[in-house]
Amino acid sequence: MLFFSFFKTLTNQTVTIELKNDIRIRGILKSVDQYLNIKLDDIEVLELAKYPHLSSVKNMFIRGSVVRYVMLPRSEVDVGLLEDATRREAANQAGKAR
Amino acid sequence: MSFFGFETKLPRDRDGSGSKGFFETSDPFADIARAHALEDDDVIDFEDTYDGLGDQLPDDQDEFNDDTFGAGGADTSVGRDFDFFGKTAQVSDVIGEEQVRYSLQNPNSARVAPQPAAPAVQPAASKTKRSGYEKYSDPGYIPDLQAKSSVWGVSQKKPEPVAAAPAASTASRKMMSLEEVEAQMRQQGHNTSTPAAEAFMRSMVDSQYPQPQHLQTLPDGFPPVPPEFLHAQIKQGHLPPGMPHPPPGMPELYGGPGPMPPGVPLHMMQNANLPPQSMPPAGPRHVGPPQAQRPQQPQLPHLPQQQQVPLPNRTSANGIPVITNPQQLRDLTEEQRNAYLVEDAKRAKRNHKIFLLSRGNGLMTPQDKNFITRIQLQQLVAAAGNVADSDPEAVLAEDFYYQVYSQIRGAPRQHPPPTPGPLRPDLSVSDGQQARADNHMQRMQQQVQRAVEAAKAKPKNKQLIIEGSLGKISFSNAKAPKPMLNIKRPDSSEGPKPKKQSDLSLSDRKSILTNLEGVYSSLMAMEDMERTMPPPPEEGDAEAIQVHMEWRQKLHSLNQKLWRSLKVMEPIVPNSTTPHPFIAFLSYPKGKKAIPRIFRHIDQEQRVTILTMIVVHLDSLDVVRLAQPVPGEAQPSLGVREAIDLFSLAVMPCLLGYVNEAPFNIIIGLLGLVINQTHVQTVARTKVGLGILTMLLSRAEIVKEAGQASEHDWQQWVQKFNILFDTLELGLNDIFPGTISSGDDMYVWQFLAAVGIGASPEQQQRLVIAVKDRVMETVSYSKTLPADMGSQRLSNVNLFMRAIGLDVELLG
Amino acid sequence: MTAFTSILHRAEKSRIERAPSTSKPRPLPNTLLPFNPHRRFLPIVPPSPSLPTALGFSPPPPNPKPQNARHRRNMERLSLESPAPAQRTPQQNQQFPQNALGPAGPQPTGGPPQLPPQMFTTAAQLLDLTDKKLVLILRDGRKLIGVLRSWDQFANLVFQDTVERIYAGQLYADVPRGIFIVRGENVLLLGEVDLDREDDIPPEVTRAPFEEVFALKKKEEAKRKKGDKKRYDELQALGFEPEHSGEILF
Repeated sequence: MLFFSFFKTLTNQTVTIELKNDIRIRGILKSVDQYLNIKLDDIEVLELAKYPHLSSVKNMFIRGSVVRYVMLPRSEVDVGLLEDATRREAANQAGKAR
Repeated sequence: MSFFGFETKLPRDRDGSGSKGFFETSDPFADIARAHALEDDDVIDFEDTYDGLGDQLPDDQDEFNDDTFGAGGADTSVGRDFDFFGKTAQVSDVIGEEQVRYSLQNPNSARVAPQPAAPAVQPAASKTKRSGYEKYSDPGYIPDLQAKSSVWGVSQKKPEPVAAAPAASTASRKMMSLEEVEAQMRQQGHNTSTPAAEAFMRSMVDSQYPQPQHLQTLPDGFPPVPPEFLHAQIKQGHLPPGMPHPPPGMPELYGGPGPMPPGVPLHMMQNANLPPQSMPPAGPRHVGPPQAQRPQQPQLPHLPQQQQVPLPNRTSANGIPVITNPQQLRDLTEEQRNAYLVEDAKRAKRNHKIFLLSRGNGLMTPQDKNFITRIQLQQLVAAAGNVADSDPEAVLAEDFYYQVYSQIRGAPRQHPPPTPGPLRPDLSVSDGQQARADNHMQRMQQQVQRAVEAAKAKPKNKQLIIEGSLGKISFSNAKAPKPMLNIKRPDSSEGPKPKKQSDLSLSDRKSILTNLEGVYSSLMAMEDMERTMPPPPEEGDAEAIQVHMEWRQKLHSLNQKLWRSLKVMEPIVPNSTTPHPFIAFLSYPKGKKAIPRIFRHIDQEQRVTILTMIVVHLDSLDVVRLAQPVPGEAQPSLGVREAIDLFSLAVMPCLLGYVNEAPFNIIIGLLGLVINQTHVQTVARTKVGLGILTMLLSRAEIVKEAGQASEHDWQQWVQKFNILFDTLELGLNDIFPGTISSGDDMYVWQFLAAVGIGASPEQQQRLVIAVKDRVMETVSYSKTLPADMGSQRLSNVNLFMRAIGLDVELLG
Repeated sequence: MTAFTSILHRAEKSRIERAPSTSKPRPLPNTLLPFNPHRRFLPIVPPSPSLPTALGFSPPPPNPKPQNARHRRNMERLSLESPAPAQRTPQQNQQFPQNALGPAGPQPTGGPPQLPPQMFTTAAQLLDLTDKKLVLILRDGRKLIGVLRSWDQFANLVFQDTVERIYAGQLYADVPRGIFIVRGENVLLLGEVDLDREDDIPPEVTRAPFEEVFALKKKEEAKRKKGDKKRYDELQALGFEPEHSGEILF
């Protein structure tokens, strides 16, 4: 649940999402669910000319499994805390495996 | 200004008392009632109320009256074919629907005044209605036209906010009087014509729509009320008296297959996302003449006022005035009018689309949506609230980042203050349903509770629950993720060997990193402990004291664990090639970053131990060892500089914090260690090394100034200081980083100042001689710099100069 | 956001008959409350770059939890506790007519058992797309435009008045498809169509007869498959597993 927990803190931030089919979409992250499906508002498709079918889309729901990258605002990530969270996650996983 | 008697407002735009549902209650029938009244002459005498203004009307345009009001004269009888019950029954579905829909929107009015019967006739009986209106072709009835203006939503009972005024004002006097007349007639008409229909309506509502959720559904057969009348007029270029010329773009607006019926729930569709101001005027304007918007305040008391009240000259987002009155349109400049019409066309187009889309709305009821949401929440609990553990730590463990981040950054922004906007009528609940809804809520919550418990009781099924959302999502991937890289190892003999990443052997590196993680897990455990600290025990509360003692015990054992994993107490092996474990620990950024957290959890003795370890190994610290100036390079590599910065930011403050409170003998001891254990000249050539020396020297000076140093201690200190001074003197010019232009040498001047204060007059002399060149260079160089940078450099130098009783000013 | 929460509010208040009823209700253990208010919470503050070096290191003071932060957290949590109706005055009912799920007034500090924020669910994401005109992109690259009528927690979708839009080269064609039921796993992306902009077809593409576009598309696809295969083969030789083997993403 680490990633879920992490992305929850990024709601209402502007992120850029690159899908596995190379489409890049910038928008405001409105919500994320436990499958990391993403809801973006006020979207802007980069290189829109290549994707005419998205020209009139204003917000979208993206299935988590097709996301390749999420580009985040650096200032909104607490790296130290994230490291700790990662350690805890690892400890949790180890605990569960046992 | 509806000449056709039907309500041109959307339900949403009507207010409680003025309208009773799909259409205004009394108006269509008021005409009939009025006709009766006039014929029978037993309630109101026409002459009693007629103010005669009609006689003054210009009659020269009467030739268009037929066009305006329908084929004239064919049937002059007053619509005897109003079969209220029958007509009502024809459209009862719609009425019932609309009634409950309306009551959803207007909980208050629905409760207070449920009299929806009259409008029933409207949609289905348009033919009838048409013949009924033909009396208007008689010029003598013209005054009645104004009476119809009540359909606009202008009502004297409820003073309209501003926007209604322009429309109303032109005919206000006449209209007012007619309103009064109407009020009386309405009473009569109401008594005679509506009870049956009303009763029917009620029965319809009760039997067919007992539950609010159905009301979301708009049936496909929803009969639109086509404004073909007006279209016809406009297309012919004829206008009803009093109406402005049609905007040139208007006919096109009706090109679409289906005009907007007033009852279409626009608000349920895309326009829910529109800016609140642009939407409301759209619907009605195209069907009938522009008219004032009725604000919704009565029903929606919690909505901010400014959203509701249309101000006379407000402008929409794009700067085009919002037209509430035909007069306004005429007053606009050509440009504005065009812009307005373009906007209008756009709105009309959108509304038409929304209408088309809306036909299948509500297939999914709120219950469905809610049901699914709860299923997901339950999954989430099952996945996050890890089965049997019943402490809040479990949630923290699963959702650590979010929880703590929210705490640190001051709460998540997930709930921006609700933006005021047109409340979607499909979302409001009437008061009548409130109690029942509360009941539902309780039951629902009990069910969720049960569901959650069931989910927790059967952790084995977790996989089943999780799988399936959006198809198969296998959580086993977390442990055995699908490999994205599948590189075959080259045979060990061939192929390039992995390059050594550091000067530490691989096993050392691994063990150091293991130590590091050990430190962090101890730290996190201690931080968790702190969070769960029991409240301070009351005196005499043995149990609480016991709890507290146990807690302290635990904390202490964690402290010991932390201390062990720090490896500070590992024996120092002189002349060893491998660095001391603690120093190796510090060579990693993670290690440096851990120091502030460690210092919070250790006692003074442990702190001084750490400080001592650092001082003893000063010249083998990475930030000292690697920071040695390399000939030909102005400054250390980027990585080393980052390490130095991190050390300065993370470790130094902790050390300084301790040193500032340390007793004098410890300072003396530390200085002795520097002199005896390290290569002072090497140390002094680095920022960190000088920083630590400055720290010690300045602390000694402060102790002395405060008079806390005993004579014996001071003698010892002076002795050590002299050794340090003598050692450093030869290399004083080398302690400056790079050339004079390379920037940051402030820490050097700070160090020199610290030395200068403690130095004897003779030593000061030697000091000045040693750094004289650098002082002069800096002073002259600072003159070539921009003023602020130059003065910065000068003040650095002056820090030192003042320490020995001089000033750069003296240098001229 | 407010739209769907308010839907939820309302929905919350309404009857739910289908929830699985397993055992008799009993109060949940207080497992889901992240922080016990009686316990002090020390946030872990990482070394801050702004820590003044001139000052001695002093541990950051324990951050006293602001009262309203707690409320805010509560606000986005689903309360499992049945509200005591007696506590709710009519006035409260008016002001917070549906405070079970969303923005709610202060909750008792004892803290009811809480569910995770409902906004972080698939359902919440799909909620405000319901009855809207959407463009749906499927895993196989199909683009469908229609009205989302229904969905479930798997993001299985029901579309009405669906039109498949085929793009090939600079051409496109529409094929009416009617009702479409999509299994969730095939969904790649759902975008809400801006009704004001949907008719502004980008000038680069022009409408053409279906047969023409379809033939062109077939050709393109064959070409792309060939290219893909070649690329995958090369990547695989280097040790990369193709990102979406077996799927054609477009």
